[in-house]
Amino acid sequence: MSSKLKRLFILVIAIQIVFLLGLVGYRETILAGGRTAILQTVPVDPRDLFKGEYVNLRYEISTLGSPQVNQDSKKFQLLGDIIEGDTVYVALSNIDGDEYSLDVQTGEPSARTDLFIKGQVATRNNDVITVDYGVEQYFVPEGSGLKIEQADELEVRVKINRSGTAAIDALIVEGEDWEP
Amino acid sequence: MKSEPPNYDSAQNDDQISQRSEIISTVHTDSRQSWLKGRINLWRESGLISDEQSESIINFEAAPEDPIRLGVRFSRLIVVLSTLGAILIGSGVISFVAANWQGIPAIAKLVFLIVGQTATYLVAYQFQFVRGYPRVGGAIMFAGAAWFGANVFLVAQIYHLSTDNPDLLTWWFIGVLPLAYIARSKAITVMAVGIFVVGISWKAASQTDDAVSGLLVTSILLFVGAAIYSVGLAHMQRASTKFFAAPYMVGGALLAIIVTYMFTFAGFVNDYERNSALENFEVSSGYIALAAVVSAITIVSLMVANWKLGRSEKRLSFRLAEPAIIILTIIGGWFMAIHMFESAAPYVILFNLLLVIQIFGIIGLGVINKREAFVNIGIVFFVIDLSTRYIELTVDMLGTSLAFIIGGLLLLGVGYSMERARRRLLRQFGMMETTH
Repeated sequence: MSSKLKRLFILVIAIQIVFLLGLVGYRETILAGGRTAILQTVPVDPRDLFKGEYVNLRYEISTLGSPQVNQDSKKFQLLGDIIEGDTVYVALSNIDGDEYSLDVQTGEPSARTDLFIKGQVATRNNDVITVDYGVEQYFVPEGSGLKIEQADELEVRVKINRSGTAAIDALIVEGEDWEP
Repeated sequence: MKSEPPNYDSAQNDDQISQRSEIISTVHTDSRQSWLKGRINLWRESGLISDEQSESIINFEAAPEDPIRLGVRFSRLIVVLSTLGAILIGSGVISFVAANWQGIPAIAKLVFLIVGQTATYLVAYQFQFVRGYPRVGGAIMFAGAAWFGANVFLVAQIYHLSTDNPDLLTWWFIGVLPLAYIARSKAITVMAVGIFVVGISWKAASQTDDAVSGLLVTSILLFVGAAIYSVGLAHMQRASTKFFAAPYMVGGALLAIIVTYMFTFAGFVNDYERNSALENFEVSSGYIALAAVVSAITIVSLMVANWKLGRSEKRLSFRLAEPAIIILTIIGGWFMAIHMFESAAPYVILFNLLLVIQIFGIIGLGVINKREAFVNIGIVFFVIDLSTRYIELTVDMLGTSLAFIIGGLLLLGVGYSMERARRRLLRQFGMMETTH
């Protein structure tokens, strides 16, 4: 191998490592500096040979509908034409209230909306869309997925950065942070 | 006194040159044997020599088990064993980390992953370029590239980032593609092409409604096949990159022809047509953008591949045939992606025509450019297409048993003709088929 190729070889290995560390750094930055939101969730418990065991999480805001669709006391307002594959932003400013209205739109919300989460529309069926936020899997030690699945109350604390990207900070099982 | 280190830098090149000369030598030996047998038969029939004498000459001139050929086989075995070993080790490491999640703190996991990956590359480098074991080294390098992909997924797992995410494959692809060229590894090139195909399909699936995603994902594979093939063509323009062209060209051609063949079935498109989801059917802008990007890769690659078009010695019609077939393939993909026609019939006619053009195109290009693999691919799909259309047409008309018997006889006839045609082509390529 020529010295030029040798340098390129080292450079590629270095870029791979920097990329992995960058991925770590990016997630750590969201966890350290992101704003907090608590999301209600329902777990499902799959197991994968190479991924390890994880809990599949579906959130209250995973399924969103137009104001005409009855979703208890919550109202979701789909602003504009939204189709599969679109990136959407869901305003979470008043999510803690008993009754609230959340705007769902394809463009980034205005500066007045201080907390929003970014997701991608997975499906659309008439007036109802399902959205993935990239926080639908929580990896757990082998054998503990079932315990989480059987919990009466489950929430997820997420940290969200300025552009709406979310990262899971903790799983809250019956009011307490879950420790493996 | 400082001793001169052995020149392993060119070890791989030497290895390739020696492999090539081994193959040429084998071909020459077989060719000589065949020629000699023909001449001896002629002499015997002319009465110049007796049967016993002809047999004695043939036995005398018969080549013993060729040690060079044995060497080529043995080196292939080394590559297969080393690659299997590398894959097993990689799988074991990934399974270990996945299964012992709770026992390892996050920081230890990260250190283990990154140090392990780097160490794998360094060991591969030592074997491949310093100690002169290019095959074992290449296999370990392949394991390093696979380890990087596993690391991307495992870091995502540490941070509970959804691993059902095609972007992870994109990052893996970008990370390993340069390595394939630097290490001159066809195995890593094949890995990168595979990751690209799966990643783009996955991305396309995430951009479409479940009801029509099967068809749209299959359509994107048509674009991907054309793009990969064109990238391979661009590689043919420089002597230094020709080595990498085969995985792209063979993979791309296979993918494009298989998808085109699938679209020749009315049932495949009819499902699309009858789908109730189509009442509100609208292809997402994300999917269109993805198809446009892949199409753009194809066009740019074709421009790179044909920039010396005017200076080529081949006839203009030959030079334009390859880009024309590729562009027709992309047009077919767009017709399907944007749901150009409401009925299935135009699609079936279009893709049947496209398949015939692709099959005869690839056989023709294989003959002109002496690419044996292309001739074989073309012939295989010609037989598959012929059999399919025969069954479609005759099963209802003749009854199953009669259709099968006639079909079987026809296939035997086609097989005989193909065998003769193939031998003639190989002779044109200057090769002689070995029968043992």
